Amino acid sequence: MESAGQMLMLAALMLTAHAGSQNYLLTFPHPKFVRVGSNFTATCVIINRTEVTADDLYWNLSETILPREHYSKINNSAISVTFTVTSDKPEWLFCLCRNPSPNIVLNQGLYMHGIYLQKGYAVQQPPGNLSCVALQENTYISGTITCEWRDSGPQTEQDPIIYTLHVRDMTSQGNYTTTTKTKAQVSLGTYPNHMNLEIWVEAKNSLGMVESEHLKEEANWFVKTNPPSDISVISEKSFPTSLLLNWTLPIDKSYFRLMYRIRFTTEGANTWTDVPQEDTSQDIQSFRLQNLQPGTKYISQVSCKNARRGHGRWSDWSNNATKWTPEAPPRGKPDLWMTILGSPNANGQNVQIACKDPVHSNGRITMFSLMIKAHRVTNASTQLENTTEMISRSGDITVLKQVPIPDHQSTQVFLTAINSVGQSEKAFLGVPERERPSVEDLRVSSQDGRLLVEWRLPRSSEVSEFVVEWVGRGQMDWQKENKSTTRTHITGPLEPFVCYRVSVYVLRSGWSSKATSVEAFLKEGAPSEAPSVSLLGVPGHDGAHLVWTQIPPERSRGFISTYTIYYRTGDATRAVTVLGNSSSYKLTSLSPDTTYDTWITASTIAGSYKGSTHSFTTQKYAPGEIEGIVVGVSLGFLFFFLMIVLLCFYKKDVIRENFWPRIPDPGESTIKNWSPDYSLKADLPRESCVSGISVLDVDVCDGRSLFDEEKAGLPLKKDKFLSEEHSSGIGGSSCMSSPRQSVSDSDEGGDMADTTASTVQYSSVVASSGYKGQTPAQPTLFSRSESTQPLLDCEENPDTSAQEGSRQSQRCSRPTGNNLSPQGAALREELQPLDFCSLPEDAENNTPAEHQSAASASSYMPQLGGYRPQ
Amino acid sequence: MNGHVKSMHFGQFMEPVTTLLSLLLLMAVDSTRIVAASRNQQCGNSLQQTLKLTRLIQKESVDLIKTYKASQGEMSELLCKVSVPIVPDPKISGMDTSEKIVSIYTHLQAFLPHLKRVYEQQTDLQLPTSPVLDGLTRVSAHSRNLAALINIFYQSLFPNVPIQEPAGGPTALPPPQNVFQQKVYGCVVLKTYKELLANVSKELRTLKNNKCKRI
Repeated sequence: MESAGQMLMLAALMLTAHAGSQNYLLTFPHPKFVRVGSNFTATCVIINRTEVTADDLYWNLSETILPREHYSKINNSAISVTFTVTSDKPEWLFCLCRNPSPNIVLNQGLYMHGIYLQKGYAVQQPPGNLSCVALQENTYISGTITCEWRDSGPQTEQDPIIYTLHVRDMTSQGNYTTTTKTKAQVSLGTYPNHMNLEIWVEAKNSLGMVESEHLKEEANWFVKTNPPSDISVISEKSFPTSLLLNWTLPIDKSYFRLMYRIRFTTEGANTWTDVPQEDTSQDIQSFRLQNLQPGTKYISQVSCKNARRGHGRWSDWSNNATKWTPEAPPRGKPDLWMTILGSPNANGQNVQIACKDPVHSNGRITMFSLMIKAHRVTNASTQLENTTEMISRSGDITVLKQVPIPDHQSTQVFLTAINSVGQSEKAFLGVPERERPSVEDLRVSSQDGRLLVEWRLPRSSEVSEFVVEWVGRGQMDWQKENKSTTRTHITGPLEPFVCYRVSVYVLRSGWSSKATSVEAFLKEGAPSEAPSVSLLGVPGHDGAHLVWTQIPPERSRGFISTYTIYYRTGDATRAVTVLGNSSSYKLTSLSPDTTYDTWITASTIAGSYKGSTHSFTTQKYAPGEIEGIVVGVSLGFLFFFLMIVLLCFYKKDVIRENFWPRIPDPGESTIKNWSPDYSLKADLPRESCVSGISVLDVDVCDGRSLFDEEKAGLPLKKDKFLSEEHSSGIGGSSCMSSPRQSVSDSDEGGDMADTTASTVQYSSVVASSGYKGQTPAQPTLFSRSESTQPLLDCEENPDTSAQEGSRQSQRCSRPTGNNLSPQGAALREELQPLDFCSLPEDAENNTPAEHQSAASASSYMPQLGGYRPQ
Repeated sequence: MNGHVKSMHFGQFMEPVTTLLSLLLLMAVDSTRIVAASRNQQCGNSLQQTLKLTRLIQKESVDLIKTYKASQGEMSELLCKVSVPIVPDPKISGMDTSEKIVSIYTHLQAFLPHLKRVYEQQTDLQLPTSPVLDGLTRVSAHSRNLAALINIFYQSLFPNVPIQEPAGGPTALPPPQNVFQQKVYGCVVLKTYKELLANVSKELRTLKNNKCKRI
């Protein structure tokens, strides 16, 4: 039957398609929505075409060819496919033809047909947890009712679930609203108080519809009123432990009677105390809170709802109503404690007396009555001090007074708290004249965000109670534990990253022991700062001594476990880690004359912090190295100098021969003895002989060694005329073997040392004063020695040195040959003094020809060139 | 011996029968009580709701009259002292419960057109945000609900007798009036309606005390 029906449908579709479609393929069905998860069957039919058969058809879903096993061939021209819808996205299902004949390829658009599949989910479950509320508006109930519910399962964008909220009352007058969300409002105009309402939600989409449960309740069942207003609290002096609450009804009783809930708390507390419901379920407008603390600030709130059981919703809490209960005399003792200030000195120690209000202060403590009784053991004197301290509060701690407690003196402190109504019992705390033992093995650790303090009982078992004191960031607090306690958590508020000094004292009948203290952190963090490193002294050439100031615990945010010192030069960074209690380190193995950047990081268990960078440069030399070099060089130089001196000492003759050759004095020459034709000796004074030729004994390169006569004649040397006069005949000589310009040829010849530092003119012919002013026409007479005695013989015979000197001078101006021209003779005369010098080197360097020439020149020959006219 | 045995057998047989009869009797009595309690509870719940709604409308009508007087300007106190014959009589008539309930229902139905007319007149006289209009709307709506509750209550008491709609056709309303007449008319309607509600409340309390307990 099913296949017959399918065939009939196929026939009908073929007829329809043939009439209205141009495609040769036809697909069906075309449902509006397909349910996700269901099996969908589609059929494709070939219309009036024989070149393709059902075997040529295939199905393509979202560009994916469906497997052949899902196909079902109905006949030769129809094929169907069945598959499970998985995706909830809309997609196309195409029936296509794979026959490659040209006609089909050219008309490919006609050989395809598709089904657009829009997905949807069946509404799986009814909207659940339907809840509705009608709020109070002014003095009546709003006509708008608001409902919420849980969704009905998944949905798609193409087929969303539409929720319809129905509200109907007994008169069959109802209203509804539709939404795609899970919350809606229905307006009823006037709220039908005291009428029964029926409320339900209908969830519907294209694939189905379900209804939620129907809420059938009286209309006031859904009402949520405003909280009670005008809350007032009355405090009565005669009832210090109670407060009377009054309020105004939020809505008239004609709507419904109300029941209430009341809660209260003290200011600063985090928890509320609820008044039992049975006490407030009546239709009341006032309530008396009882068993309260006197002199305490209380905050109260009230809420209400329909008093009928199960009806209505609790309103919001009312505004705070605050009131102090009347005060009563303090009950109990103030918590008295003394904390040590600073370190004990020679005279004792200073203590700070502080206290906390009695647990039941029953009001505001306005002052404390303090009595201090000091008893000195040495002189058995007792000093009594009574004061009334105005309070100076810091939190719940009252700092009373600082008192010195000398050694060997017992101090007893008595304290009474006073409020406006009365005073408390007297608290006592004593400091004995001798320190008593405290607890042992005190340990403090952080546990579950609190500090756990553990200790061991002292050997003496007379313990009344323990006092655990902690000081951190300038704040001090304490708590007292009973005598059997050996471990406790610090109850006060502690801050992380703050160093606390925790001390435990033993109280024996009110007498305090000495403290046992440790430092602890509730939570350690990375340091917020690191010390700045600096150098101790100057850096060495391979090391530096670094120092830093340790971070105080209050700023370290944890126990400094290590300091890591980094030092860097160029790209090379090295690090050294030292313990946290270190404050200096000596860097070694540094390179000399190198700049280092160094910094230090402080580390706790939680992290580290890098300090500022400090730069220093190592020295080039090690200490004493320069001194060593200087001493070495000095010693070397001294040795060299000594060697030179020794050398000079041992070779002084040679040096004298070279530098100060013995020059015969022409004045002492015997020329006058062997020149009988020219009786100069009688006519010329002695000085004229000397003035004609003078021996210049100068040091090497020292122009200042000139004779005074020559110095006097310097101006004359600058005169060319005079200069030429000087050079005539005799000529000059030089210590150097190289030819020198004669003084007479130089314009600067007056300052010989300036022109040729190495030139030494040890011989000069200076015109005597007798020559000055003479005309050139007057022939100047020179006596020429014709002696053949060797020059050195003059030295061997000092008596005849003057004569021989004259001969030597005559030899210096010997002619080189008869064939010389007058100019060449003059030149030769100028060069003669060089040959005259008896330097051995010169002698050695002379060529044999020169020796021969010199030998030939040694004979006395008439002077051909003569003297230049003056 | 046999007789003794027979007696023993009879005794053994009678014991469970007695127990069974006792149980059946107990169930019968209990079911009767349950039915009675159920009917009584139904009567009480329905009547209680009706009574509460009546009190609510009564309170709202009192507030509305105050608001109405405050919104009418000068001489507002005198407005309500004038007699307007066309306004229905607030007295509940009838001898028995059925007649009284029908009378209540009839009176409520009769006042609804008057309240509607007053609302229309005050719409012209007041601002749209006037509390008078809000009050009139609420009182009218609650009055319709009260009439429906009365009807339901009546049906619960007399299920086989349908309640009679007011005879004589639609309620007669006053002809066009001037402003003063409208003010007077409105105040008289509200005042008379308040009296009606007081009477209804009184009758319902009586019914609650008598009818529901007796049932």
